[in-house]
Amino acid sequence: MLIEKYIYLAIALFCIGIVGVLARRNAIIIFMCIELMLNAVNLLLVAFSKMHHAAAVAKGATAGIEGQLFVFFIMVVAAAEVSVGLAIIVMMYRNTHSVDVNFLNRLKH
Amino acid sequence: MTNLQLLALLPFMVLATAAVVVILLIAFKQSHTVIQVTGFFMMCAVVLAMWFVRDTLPREVPPLLVVDGLAALFTGLIIFSVLVVGLLSYIYFEEREENPKEYYILLFLATLGAAVLTISRHFISFFIGLELLSVSLYALIAYLRNRNNAIEAGVKYLMLAALTSAFLLFGMALIYMETGSMEFTAIGNAITKSGTSVLFLMGIGLIVVAIGFKLALVPFHLWAADVYQGAPAPVTAFIATVSKIGVFAVFVRFAQAIHLHENALAVTVLTVIAIACMIAGNVLALMQQNIKRLLAYSSIAHFGYLLVAFLSGDAGVGAGVFYLLAYSITLLSAFGIITLLSTRRKDADELSGYRGLFWRNPLMAAIFTVALLSLAGIPLTAGFPAKFFILTVGVQQHMWLLAVVLVLTSVIGLYYYLRIISTLFASPPLSPAKEKSLHPLFYAATYTSLVVLMFLLAWLGIFPGFIIDNVQEFLVIR
Amino acid sequence: MILVLMIGILLVGGLTCWLVAQRYPLMGRLIALIAVIIAFLLPVGWYAQYASELTVTGNNWLIDYQVNWIPAFGISFHLAMDGLSFIMILLTFLLGMLSVLCSWNEVREKTGFYFFNLLWTLAGIAGVFVAMDLFLFYFFWEVMLVPMYFLIAIWGDFNRRYAAYKFFIFTQTGGLLMLLAILALYFIHAQQNGGQFTFDYFALLNTTFDNNVTARWIMLGFLIAFVIKLPMVPLHNWLPDAHSEAPTAGSLILAGLLLKTGAYGIIRFVLTLFPEASASIAWWAMLLGVVGIVYGALLAFAQTDLKRLIAYTSVSHMGFVLLGVFAFREIALQGVVMQLLTHGVSTGALFVLAGMLKERLHTRDINQMGGLWTAMPHMGALAMVFVMASLGLPFLGNFIAEFLILMGAFEVSPVLTIIASAGLVLSALYSLRIMQKVFQGQLQTVSEPPKDLSAREWIIMASLTATIIFLGLYPQPVLDTVQGFVAQLARSNL
Repeated sequence: MLIEKYIYLAIALFCIGIVGVLARRNAIIIFMCIELMLNAVNLLLVAFSKMHHAAAVAKGATAGIEGQLFVFFIMVVAAAEVSVGLAIIVMMYRNTHSVDVNFLNRLKH
Repeated sequence: MTNLQLLALLPFMVLATAAVVVILLIAFKQSHTVIQVTGFFMMCAVVLAMWFVRDTLPREVPPLLVVDGLAALFTGLIIFSVLVVGLLSYIYFEEREENPKEYYILLFLATLGAAVLTISRHFISFFIGLELLSVSLYALIAYLRNRNNAIEAGVKYLMLAALTSAFLLFGMALIYMETGSMEFTAIGNAITKSGTSVLFLMGIGLIVVAIGFKLALVPFHLWAADVYQGAPAPVTAFIATVSKIGVFAVFVRFAQAIHLHENALAVTVLTVIAIACMIAGNVLALMQQNIKRLLAYSSIAHFGYLLVAFLSGDAGVGAGVFYLLAYSITLLSAFGIITLLSTRRKDADELSGYRGLFWRNPLMAAIFTVALLSLAGIPLTAGFPAKFFILTVGVQQHMWLLAVVLVLTSVIGLYYYLRIISTLFASPPLSPAKEKSLHPLFYAATYTSLVVLMFLLAWLGIFPGFIIDNVQEFLVIR
Repeated sequence: MILVLMIGILLVGGLTCWLVAQRYPLMGRLIALIAVIIAFLLPVGWYAQYASELTVTGNNWLIDYQVNWIPAFGISFHLAMDGLSFIMILLTFLLGMLSVLCSWNEVREKTGFYFFNLLWTLAGIAGVFVAMDLFLFYFFWEVMLVPMYFLIAIWGDFNRRYAAYKFFIFTQTGGLLMLLAILALYFIHAQQNGGQFTFDYFALLNTTFDNNVTARWIMLGFLIAFVIKLPMVPLHNWLPDAHSEAPTAGSLILAGLLLKTGAYGIIRFVLTLFPEASASIAWWAMLLGVVGIVYGALLAFAQTDLKRLIAYTSVSHMGFVLLGVFAFREIALQGVVMQLLTHGVSTGALFVLAGMLKERLHTRDINQMGGLWTAMPHMGALAMVFVMASLGLPFLGNFIAEFLILMGAFEVSPVLTIIASAGLVLSALYSLRIMQKVFQGQLQTVSEPPKDLSAREWIIMASLTATIIFLGLYPQPVLDTVQGFVAQLARSNL
């Protein structure tokens, strides 16, 4: 299978994520969109990893696995980020009774 | 992993232990003071460990880490800054409503993240360090959870930082695709062999976006003023110093490995960013009435100056390190004053609150004045040789445009620093003195450290030679 | 070593003043005075001891002191003194002592910090006159600014903050451009000499430029910094504000000393480092000098604020300096040095008088003064002396200075010289206007006549008067002292 297709799919997912972040006002949905972007990257990394592994398989069995390794790290970190992030969003809800990011304008410009 | 490699990582392990020790202390219900003092000594232990292992440097710990002179310098800077931030945190949080103990866990974890950034030579360690730093920072910024400002700043930082980590990862993935490697040096070798492609440049671009966000470079600076204003004063000091030092360190290492300075496009883009930072930072700071916001904009400008050193390539690293040292000491003393003046209810960030400070509290005003003069780059303070060294490397590399912009924007910068200074010396309003609720010993400790910082600024301003020589000595360890 | 001691005493004296005056204000003043007197006596005593040897050896450089400062960048702590520096140093400490004396009673609050700033400004100025390493020179150049900023911003008049900003930002802009020029010179020199990086003045003197364009740009960097300080006409904007808002001692130091650092910089650095480039712009510089003479005089005539009026006369007098410097004639340069001295003394004296008047009448507006001669005959007589000096009456110092400058400049450009001489007529106009408005005419409605000079004020005015008359009658010692430097300069620039 061609690597381009993975790239197109990942870019599509990533762009959907960006549009979501820019267009939506609900903090939780923005956060979900960011997660979508991270997963697009995960997809890319796995695909590239497979590609490099296939190319380098003659040299050694472990060549090109870095990408897949990285994916695990990203998943763990993303989980941590979500847990802290949701906690902050909950506090925001407690203070303003809303998760609308447009309410975040009290700091002086 | 050999013993020697483990030994080289000793300072970082001590740093990680510090976080664990704080958790244990909390579990055993120790008081804030105990945690504070233990944290202080743990940080000193990190410095000692660094001193202890310095002869075994440089040492690679493949594939993720490398401990060399550059890492030692930047880690030293980070630990120094955290020492001071920790001291400031004590009086700040002692009189706040929030339980301050968990704060130290987060503080040390964030420091560990910044320290890991300085020794990373691989995308995975780069990412982990950065996220360790960012995730702890989300919580630190929003630590005073009953304050709207803090929450708002926290949410803003959270959203934007998460977004930029996605960009960072996408860039890394693209580079990985082109080069088949995640190690900085291997990437550098791959591109010298096969040249750069469009996707590779896109990847670099995305990574620069992420780094630019962390360093608050224009045009990725939009969070800076709000977060600086909303975060508790010691945390703002932390963001302004430790987090930026760590990110700058990894940027330097990455750029050196992939020979970023030989890529004309990248140099052009960074030049434009540097000029934009210097102009926008200084101009936006002109109108600010809020000291924390003003310092945010001024730090944007300062990182524009720092980019001039960065763009000078290897010659500029020494100047950059010196600049960061001067800048950290300066900002820490400025935030120290803000912390000391903050009351239970709110941070002392309104400029009007500083009116006539000199006649109420000469010592504080003197420290603040020295810090501001140093930010403005006036001789007798550390800011002057720092700016001078940057100009020197800039002129040496024939970057005339950057040098001239640096000079002209510094003049704009003078105006707002002078505005604060003249406010400090204006005749004071009749206001009751701030009630001192804490034991005088803590104030004495904070004052002492601030006075030490002030003398450091003067010493660096008059005798920068000693530090410069040592920095150069460290930089050759690689 | 004596130079280090001289600057060190001022710095340490300033700090002690600040600390002591918290408790004992009077002690603070005394310490300030003693520190400046010691700093004055050090070079004088040294000169008295070695003057005879110097004429024998013919070496221009009287003292040379050099230690490494930041060797990594080729920066050394290099102080040296020749005839020109010696004269300027003498002027610095003479006016320094008087500035301490004349703020004796004027400054009532925060005296410690005031004298701290005063002494540090003096230290910076003294440093500028003896620094022979360009980095060190820039360092002192900035060191004199910050305390001066505080002097204006804290103890100035009503509009002090505006004036202080303007002063600081104007001079700082020039200073930073000079820093860029210094760096450019530093690298060009290093390229020519196989990577030998140094900021040393004597080493940089040997720099040669491949093309005139580079040389001219670098020279302009220096020149702009100096002509802002001088000030030359389009860049003089900061001066009237700063001079009129500053406290008396501040005006005295600004007019008497800070302006001289600009002139000193041009003579010492611009002319010697860039002989060709400065020759190529000489005509323009002379033209702007003449414009300054006429423009300053005309504006001075139009002022009603006494201190502002005197400030504009400075612009006019400094025009002569520019004219004389860029004539490149030995005689004109002699005149320039004389002009620096006499202008420092006479304008300084006028500012002190303005300060005394303000202390008594609480106004600077000359329309509200008048007929003061009857109340204060002594002050009136002294004012007469300095007003006459300012308009260039023979037997007073300024006459010699302006005469020498005009004589030198006439060889080069008769037209400009003639216009400049017309400026002298204008100076008579504004000078006499001061006398007429302030001391003659109808006594204004003042409830009780102001007191004449006190003993302290007598000391200040007497020493200034003695100096200006001495310089007018017997200028030869000054001319001899700077002869070596000036002759060399005129030779190399012709």
